[in-house]
Amino acid sequence: MSARLEADGLYKVFGRKPDQAVERLRQGTDREELRDAGTTAAVIDASFTVEPGEIFVVMGLSGSGKSTLLRMLNGLLEPTAGHVRFGGQDLTEIGERKLRDVRSKSISMVFQHFALFPHRSVRDNAAYGLEVQGVPRAERERRADEALALCGLAGWEKSWPDELSGGMQQRVGLARALATDADLLLMDESFSALDPLIRRDMQDQLLELQKTLKKTIVFITHDLNEAMRLGDRIAMMRDGRIVQIGTAQDILMRPANDYVASFTQDVDRSRVLTTAAVMETEVRGDEADCDCETATPETSFTDLCAISARVPHPVAVVDGDGELVGVVPTRRLVGFLGDEQAEPGTCDSPRDQGPEKVMARA
Amino acid sequence: MPRIPLGDWVNSTVDWLLEHVAWLFDFLKTVFTGTYDGINAVLQAPEPLLLAGIFAVIAFWLRGTLAGVLTFVGFAFIDSMELWENAMITLSLVLVATIIALVVAVPVGIWAARSDRVSGIVRPVLDFMQTLPAMIYLIPAILFFGTGASAGIVATLIFALAPGVRMTELGIRQVDKELVEAAEAFGTTPRNTLLRVQLPLALPTVMAGVNQVIMLGLSMAAIAGMVGTGGLGGDVNEAIGQLNVGLGSESGVAIVILAIYLDRMTSALGTQVSPLGRRAAAKARSLGGLKIWSYRPRPQVAVIGVVILGLVAGGMGVFGGSGDSEAVANGKNVGQGKKVTLGYVPWDEGVASTFLWKEILEQRGYEVEAKQFDAGPLYTSLAQGDIDIVTNSWLPTTHAQYWKKYGDRLDDLGSWYDNTSLELTVPAYMKDVNTLADLKGKAGQFGGKITGIESSAGEMALLKDKVAKEYGLDKEYKVVDSSTPAMLAELKRAMSKKEPIVVTLWSPHWAYNDLDLKKLKDPKGAWGKGDGVHTLSRKGFAGDDPTAAKWMKDFKLDEKQLTSLEAEINKAGKGKQQDAVRTWLKSNPDLVDKLAPVAGAGGATPAEAKRALDVAWFPWEEDVAVTYLWKNVLERRGYKMNLKQMDVGPVYTGLASGDLDLNFDAWLPHAQKNYWDKNKDNLTDLGTWYEPTSLEIAVPSYVKDVKSLADLKGKADLFDGKIIGIEPGTGEMQLAKDEVLPGYGLEDEYEIVDGSTPAMLAELKRAYAKKEPVAVTLWSPHWAYSDYELTKLKDPKKAFGEGNTIRTISSKKFPEQYPQLTKWIKNFHMSEDELGTLEAEIKDRGQGHEEEAVAAWLEEHPDMVGRMTPQ
Repeated sequence: MSARLEADGLYKVFGRKPDQAVERLRQGTDREELRDAGTTAAVIDASFTVEPGEIFVVMGLSGSGKSTLLRMLNGLLEPTAGHVRFGGQDLTEIGERKLRDVRSKSISMVFQHFALFPHRSVRDNAAYGLEVQGVPRAERERRADEALALCGLAGWEKSWPDELSGGMQQRVGLARALATDADLLLMDESFSALDPLIRRDMQDQLLELQKTLKKTIVFITHDLNEAMRLGDRIAMMRDGRIVQIGTAQDILMRPANDYVASFTQDVDRSRVLTTAAVMETEVRGDEADCDCETATPETSFTDLCAISARVPHPVAVVDGDGELVGVVPTRRLVGFLGDEQAEPGTCDSPRDQGPEKVMARA
Repeated sequence: MPRIPLGDWVNSTVDWLLEHVAWLFDFLKTVFTGTYDGINAVLQAPEPLLLAGIFAVIAFWLRGTLAGVLTFVGFAFIDSMELWENAMITLSLVLVATIIALVVAVPVGIWAARSDRVSGIVRPVLDFMQTLPAMIYLIPAILFFGTGASAGIVATLIFALAPGVRMTELGIRQVDKELVEAAEAFGTTPRNTLLRVQLPLALPTVMAGVNQVIMLGLSMAAIAGMVGTGGLGGDVNEAIGQLNVGLGSESGVAIVILAIYLDRMTSALGTQVSPLGRRAAAKARSLGGLKIWSYRPRPQVAVIGVVILGLVAGGMGVFGGSGDSEAVANGKNVGQGKKVTLGYVPWDEGVASTFLWKEILEQRGYEVEAKQFDAGPLYTSLAQGDIDIVTNSWLPTTHAQYWKKYGDRLDDLGSWYDNTSLELTVPAYMKDVNTLADLKGKAGQFGGKITGIESSAGEMALLKDKVAKEYGLDKEYKVVDSSTPAMLAELKRAMSKKEPIVVTLWSPHWAYNDLDLKKLKDPKGAWGKGDGVHTLSRKGFAGDDPTAAKWMKDFKLDEKQLTSLEAEINKAGKGKQQDAVRTWLKSNPDLVDKLAPVAGAGGATPAEAKRALDVAWFPWEEDVAVTYLWKNVLERRGYKMNLKQMDVGPVYTGLASGDLDLNFDAWLPHAQKNYWDKNKDNLTDLGTWYEPTSLEIAVPSYVKDVKSLADLKGKADLFDGKIIGIEPGTGEMQLAKDEVLPGYGLEDEYEIVDGSTPAMLAELKRAYAKKEPVAVTLWSPHWAYSDYELTKLKDPKKAFGEGNTIRTISSKKFPEQYPQLTKWIKNFHMSEDELGTLEAEIKDRGQGHEEEAVAAWLEEHPDMVGRMTPQ
């Protein structure tokens, strides 16, 4: 049901003579130099593809251009250069009228501060997209109520936005986006304004919904934890450029540069990593021959730690076919927690002589 | 610094606008006055208390019980102060200005909100409009729109427009950007974004703007009283002029009541119409519970209430109309319901003379309106022709600067009261100051001040330039510019404290009756001879209404008459001036006939005029022209005419039987020969007033080589074989077909097309515009010869026959019945140019406007009336 979204060499430059600025950027001029000339390059050469049913997270700090990038995807901002293709159409080529049509039928958006219409009831808010499409009242109200129920707001249809808590308001925002049955969902820091507990709830709910709805979702956030929790893939943005695209583990294990790496420091690695990322793959072959507990490559890091605590020797990792694929020594677990994958050093002190060495820093 | 002649530029711009865009102002004026008249008619129609009830129900609905009760009390109070009519005038003015302001302001505000450039242009314009002192455009507004409602509306509009635009722009710009983005993200069109998101959310702010528009409009409406809009503003203006604090505060309070009502209602309406406001109100109500004072009926109930009261009001308005127009004795009905507008400055002698003339003219069958002004607007209006007569113009000194400016557009009908003087005046308790010379050396006592009036007044100039110098006061005293009301207020204040004060004053003035004052003697005669109180009229009034103008010219009052009349008026109080005049006239019974003589030697209306004339006319251009001309002229002389449009045959029969009196359009001796011959024993021929006439075929003069009927031969191709005719069966068509075409051998080439006179003229006009060759049947006299360059084709063979003359014929008895008129008609002649221009004027104004056209034409030909009806 979902379609593939493709961004190809997107540029967005604000200020005077944007086309010239793009040309200069292509020739390698620095963003700072342009800024001195009074033009701001918000997005520079962004290219990526979002597969149907995928949650694609764009992660970056404020000012990194992620919101601008998102608004180019549904044409709220016109790219200075580059193309956006979605569902077989080049959104940068079609006219304003057709673009509005696409926006009303197949792309919907959830906003940071909810952007609910204060002069409409919850139901009318949820039904807004359908109203724009021209769906008759009875049907749009039915579909709005369904969307609201899906977001856990059954019974609140007749309330007004200002009577709801922040979390509930954003559920209305989500319901409004879902009600149109759009294939592509653009979420602009949609959970940032919520307090942490509610945010967790919303993230869980989004993941839960996504299991059944299989929308294509582009999610903007400045919170790497959120990015890693939600994202099938993550694009890291800095100063208008995408510096790395990869899965959460890719980002964590193989940061493209120091900037990305500096982000990952604060990440709760135990939530992201799986056994596959941690295990040593050089195996002797007999590590699983005992009756001890084993792990699979998908076992989460936290579970792996628990197993390791119960098993006297390195934990064996067995794939679905019962084949031994790796082994995880406790030392390695501790090392990953501290982001240190170097080989252990040695110590001359006799009291530290043991089969497994523990890094002092751990 | 070079002098930048901004003022000159503005002057020439104004002149240019007056000359070239008058149509636009006329259009606007029509729109404004139309709307105003409509709303005013609705508001004035019902019984005051009933309308107060309607207002109260609206308040009950919008704000609750208490507001409803207070509304009723407030409006009933206005009614009890006898200010109802004026309050409704003001209300209509404000409503019209508000409606128009919103029609302009909201779209401009929306535009400005969507475009920074527009916003950048609009903002300084608004600042300009809002801060420019109102007087500066109030007076010029008269130039463009004349006095009355539309000038007031325009001034109010200029002043009140700004908040409407600003608040609309602000409201829309204030709407959360994210909401607008959300709307766009869901594919909303810009139009719907505006209508469904921006405007609803901006509505509270927009309504606050509406509220501001109304409030500013109301404050301006009070000022606009100066340009004769009437209403409460007029009352305030009048009260200030007479230093009548009581009346001033009454009208002030009435304005405040209106203001509070409108303010509360619009803000409540703001809550009602905006979805957010409704939500907030509902919330507040659910918290507060049900209370009797804040109970509000459902809209349906309110609407039903308003409708019921409205129907009752409408019904009473329709059936309650009273016929208060008194029948004016036939012979004295000189005015024939003609409208005359008198303007006056609210000085006692002005009020007295104005209302005296109002009464006299009404007795003579005029419809008279008396309007009060400040001196400046008064002269502007008179020069504009918005008012006809002003009876209290102080010349040559006091109103000198106005006369200088407008004199060439005014007619001075002479002075009716000469016993005036200008003077410096002190309270009577200033024992040792009796002459101007006594002031010298007493500057300390008077604080070195002479309290003056408007710096523009002639008296002030005279005082500063001449009087003060002559008595050596100019070094000691400073003449303080102020205003007449301020001077009087200062005088009153000082006298209540018995302080020394010296003021500029003039006689006659009511202050001499009210206060114990002493005129300072002027032994050196520095003030010069006193002004005369003159009667001025707009230019051309004497031509339009020689009778009334003559009355005005002969108008004189002596001091005893004037003071006794003034005393009577002061006794009766405001609003009863005319009653006072009537009372006064009872004790001066001969005065009306003396001031406005109707019969006798210099008399206007001969006794014969008592019987109405039945005049028959044919719908032919020259007859329409001459008949309406006579109607206008004879009505000035007190005659009454019934016009009857008829065919030729019945006219002759009617005249012969005596059922009809006159017909001005007898084409004799040829065209109507058979009718004449049949009835001539019972008819009188009053002579020819126009000759020669002819029937002819005419072509535009750009058709070069066609000069005579014979030239038409062989040119059928040029004219497409057609001669455009008129109504079939008329004498001319018969002649053309039976005599002319065969006579010149044209019958095989040309066809005479039957049609009608208007169709022929239309075809002529069309062809003329395109310079196409065309031949039409025409006759002289005809206005077409004035409007187009046409060649009458020569008729050497006299196929069209001998020329007729146009004569006036009457019934047999007519010369006995109307000896005076008979004499006039017998001496009556018109030239081809006169008739042609009159016909053209009538044609230009269109059907139904014949009387206007004649009046306008007579203004161009001022001697005509005297020529036709010499006295």
